[in-house]
Amino acid sequence: MEKKSARILVFSTEKISDPAIDMAGLLKLHYPPTVYTIAVPCSSGIKPRWIMHAYDKGFDGVFIAADGSDCTYGETCTEKTGHIVGITHQMMKEKNIDPARLRMAAICSVCSESFVKQIKSFNQYLLQSTKS
Amino acid sequence: MAENIKTANYDALVIGAGIAGGEAALNLANNGFSVLLVEKDLSIGGKMILLSKVFPTLDCAACITTPKMSEISRHHGITIFTGSEVQKVVKKSENSFEAVVIKQPRYVVEDDCTACQLCEQACPVVVKDQYQYNLVGRKAAFIPFSIASPRVAAIDIENCTLCGACEKVCPTKCIDFTMEAEEYHITAGAVIVATGFRLFDPLKIPRYGYGQYKNVLTSMEMERQLAPTRPFNTVLRPGDGKVPDKIAYVLCTGSRDATVGNPICSQICCMYSIKQAQLLMGSLPMADVTIYYINIRSFGKGFEEFYEQAKGMGVNFIKGKIGKITEKENGNLILRYEDINENKLKESEHDMVVLSVGVLPNTDAAGIFREQKLEFDHLNFVGQKDPLASPAETNIKGVFVAGTASGPMDIPDSILSAGAASSEAMRYLIRK
Amino acid sequence: MNKKLGVYICHCGGNISDYIDVEKVKAAVAGEDGVYLAKTTMFACSDATQKEMVEDIRSNNLDGIVVASCSPKLHLLTFRAVSERALLNKYNYVHANIREQGSWAHSDDKAGATEKAVSLVKAAIAKVRLARSLDPIIIPSKKAVAIIGAGVAGMRAAIELADMGCPVTLVEREYFVGGRVAQWDVMFTTNQTGKELVTRLYNEVIARDNITLLTGAEVVANSGSIGDFTLKIKVTPRYMKEKCDQNNLLKAIEACPVVVPDDFNFNITSRKAIYHNFPGEFPQYPVIDIKNCTRCGECEKICSSVDFSQQEQTVEVHVGSVVMATGFDPYTPAEGEFGYKLSDFVVTLPQFKRLTDINKDNLVYNGREIRNIAYIYCVGSRQSEGDNKYCSRYCCTSAIHASLEARNKFRNVNNFHFTRGIRTYGKQELLYAESLRKGDVYLQAYEENPPLVEVKDGQITVTINDIMTGGREISVIPDLLVLVTGMVPRADNSIASKFKLPKGRDSFFNEIHMKLRPVETVIDGVTISGACQGPKNITESVNSALSAAAKSYSFVNKGELALEPIIAGIDKDLCTWCGECEKACPFDAIKKEKQGEKEIAVINNSVCKGCGMCLPVCPVNAINLIAFSDREIESMIDALVSV
Repeated sequence: MEKKSARILVFSTEKISDPAIDMAGLLKLHYPPTVYTIAVPCSSGIKPRWIMHAYDKGFDGVFIAADGSDCTYGETCTEKTGHIVGITHQMMKEKNIDPARLRMAAICSVCSESFVKQIKSFNQYLLQSTKS
Repeated sequence: MAENIKTANYDALVIGAGIAGGEAALNLANNGFSVLLVEKDLSIGGKMILLSKVFPTLDCAACITTPKMSEISRHHGITIFTGSEVQKVVKKSENSFEAVVIKQPRYVVEDDCTACQLCEQACPVVVKDQYQYNLVGRKAAFIPFSIASPRVAAIDIENCTLCGACEKVCPTKCIDFTMEAEEYHITAGAVIVATGFRLFDPLKIPRYGYGQYKNVLTSMEMERQLAPTRPFNTVLRPGDGKVPDKIAYVLCTGSRDATVGNPICSQICCMYSIKQAQLLMGSLPMADVTIYYINIRSFGKGFEEFYEQAKGMGVNFIKGKIGKITEKENGNLILRYEDINENKLKESEHDMVVLSVGVLPNTDAAGIFREQKLEFDHLNFVGQKDPLASPAETNIKGVFVAGTASGPMDIPDSILSAGAASSEAMRYLIRK
Repeated sequence: MNKKLGVYICHCGGNISDYIDVEKVKAAVAGEDGVYLAKTTMFACSDATQKEMVEDIRSNNLDGIVVASCSPKLHLLTFRAVSERALLNKYNYVHANIREQGSWAHSDDKAGATEKAVSLVKAAIAKVRLARSLDPIIIPSKKAVAIIGAGVAGMRAAIELADMGCPVTLVEREYFVGGRVAQWDVMFTTNQTGKELVTRLYNEVIARDNITLLTGAEVVANSGSIGDFTLKIKVTPRYMKEKCDQNNLLKAIEACPVVVPDDFNFNITSRKAIYHNFPGEFPQYPVIDIKNCTRCGECEKICSSVDFSQQEQTVEVHVGSVVMATGFDPYTPAEGEFGYKLSDFVVTLPQFKRLTDINKDNLVYNGREIRNIAYIYCVGSRQSEGDNKYCSRYCCTSAIHASLEARNKFRNVNNFHFTRGIRTYGKQELLYAESLRKGDVYLQAYEENPPLVEVKDGQITVTINDIMTGGREISVIPDLLVLVTGMVPRADNSIASKFKLPKGRDSFFNEIHMKLRPVETVIDGVTISGACQGPKNITESVNSALSAAAKSYSFVNKGELALEPIIAGIDKDLCTWCGECEKACPFDAIKKEKQGEKEIAVINNSVCKGCGMCLPVCPVNAINLIAFSDREIESMIDALVSV
């Protein structure tokens, strides 16, 4: 059966991006229901092994809804989150996983529309690439 | 009744359990002081708990108020009396006030009610619902509103026919028509007055047609239509139930207007109208919203940006004061106004008009301070003895004022003012 | 041990159950390992349901609960409190958000939303199975507070805290207290002068022996965290002894050959290298501006109080909390902005206020008698192009008040106000009404068409297309043009980086939440007050200062504090100390420690904020965050895909 939507794991952050994802719901901005969120305190605390575990268990994609410059734990967050993505991309290449199956974007606490837009395009990409 | 007088002792008595009184009570209690919080309404939360969303962050008002209210109601340092009034306060000596508080009967045993609403269903009496600003009806046995705290039924004894239907269906047998008013004699070390404000009554400006034209409503009525606990689940014209698509806001209704006795600016109407306009654009995407103003006063943190955001969303702003509103046969309204930009008189048609009513003083606290009277300023707000250095101080040492009781304020300013009042009260209590 | 769990799925009136089949969710999770009871409920947050949960937990000895309802931002604390009332450790409750991220987000796909809810609840169950009981971290808290800035906000907070029995160190960078208000003459609403207010507060400050006032003092280093901050404060000397003979002093000032612009008067006047701002300013003895002093020794010859032997000192203070009260700077226009610097007769509002204060009978500036004054509003505020998008809040009232003062104090003054819409909010409206009544002229333009200033042969012309008269072009040739400048954050805000304080979009210090936690910052124990948080008038500054005082007091008054135990933990066996985690930690919470034979990383529990930045950098995966461990996250992932 052809999949209607891809299975995406979102790592959100408790204070910044998770409220934005909440607000997307509040504004009834729809996105596929196969998008699941796990909220962590800060995006720069996500371990690459968690992301790899998700691919292992069958997730099509992982999306990091990063704190960006709004991070309450300091301005190094953006750089550190970027670094995590870099390392994970390396691990994905080694395992022959398309690095584009991991995406990151800074989602500020009111960036609901941008979140939904990003997720929809990610979903499109994942559906395309798994078909081929 | 005299033999049933109860006595109790608290560090502080807080009069009014809106957002300012609640905040002040919490600050005191969190620092180890015992507080009696007296609210004349059936629920704590004041006006804020009834709002939709709040500017400039568009947080849901209930989502900010309810956690605070539940913290207040569960705090072991705070005793709450709802449906109660402070009848008098007398200062006996420094750090010693005596107060008489009358707790009106609710006719429902609060601890036993489970808010199952069976009484509401059984009650045959329908009256206007004051918590929905009369937009819909409620029963005489009723829960004030869904997020009320305490969320407990009450009997509106004035309208009740004593038919007994509610008593029969109540599963916990908590309805008790034999309840009587209770009198409490309270001693407290300090008093905080947080009696809030009243809204301007637009009937005083007959040329706007409020009360006469059904589709002219107040901003508070619109607020209820936009709230999560709203009556209709969408925005409707009261006249015919039609979804409006051309809505006008009339700013400064009852503010900056010496002819109605209120020469000052109410400080909140520009912003709440801009907020409502944004919410309306969200819930009725096809609607056209126009705000008629004299000056837009978006002065607080993030306010100017919020105003710009509204302009960006397509809210129309017209600088001009409304002369007169008339009604057409189809219920639409004709606004006659002077367009300042074009320097000419104009007319425009809208299918709904919202009057952005202003803030008036609440003088409830005036009569209760006996012997040493509480002073009010010339506008009838609670007087501030030293507005620059100690804004919460009143003329009576040990009595402090919090929130809009001392003048118009938005929510962040009310909360800071309550912070100041509680700080001054703590200092007064510690210093003795 | 297999945990006994309770699961509650909320209808939320219909907010959830209109889109998600909550009964189906209940059925799908009821058989999960450990689930002892699963229920649906109309409103999980209602008092009645809360009571029912407490009863369930107690009578069935549940080891954990899952509540699936709205966003945890709303009711996490509610259900934690429910657990505690049932004597269940609150960290054994896990929340599943099936409204904002369930029913509402997927109201277009009921089956999908229901399936997602099942997954989310299963993931929450997986997490609660691994949850541990945690106790708050109790740390001692020193009953003392440091306040940075001795303006009105800082002094007022100091008096408040001192009277609550809390010792205060009040740190002022300048040599005199009072901040910006000392520069103010008569003020709205009481017609007190700034000097009077500052004098009154200063006298109250020095009357309290539990306030230590340091002037010429600057925080140079900060370490520690809530409950135990250590501040290093550099105190530069005044080069003057405390007692000095006024006569000799005046002579000494006269003798000083150095003349520099007086920044107290916003450079419209000059002063000597030995100076005080105005007679009677506090502290009441002068200072030698050592940067400009040439050490000629003239003053020393006359005044025996001059003492060049005084040395810079560094003081260390230990406090439980810090109140920021560092104030604002007035906006400085760019050269040419509305004629600024193009004519000697273009001044800013603060300069104008100093002018009206200094002049006695006639308003004279640069030798010209000033009669016609034009005011251009919103200079440096509400910029459509510049950085300052915000309204500075105090300037409309302040400018109108100053213009009325000028009108009342001097003869024949005419005021012309070029506004962007007057914002005298609240009772301040009465001042605007008075100004109109007295005949001040108000003209208005919108942002896209601001007034034009031309300076030609020393003559200033201000031209506007006035919307109040249908866009008519009106020109005024004033003797003096006042630019009504707004508030900007302090130019030297190095204090912010020492405390790692975040700033908002407007670059002022940011509060956590405007309505819920308006004076707290994300740095626990550091509160903000007054105009360093955003533009405010004096009353508003004092309200925020007293709120901050009360909040800081609550951090220190009990002598101890309970902190959230969600922090990082290091596996001693795995750690081989490489220093990566120490580098990654933004709070200096990780230090190297020798344990037996080897060196390992150790986390300071009272400093760790639980951000997790140290987790991914550990090459041997020796760090886990409590409640976000590998096992917890990975078992949640497993549960999400199990449907």
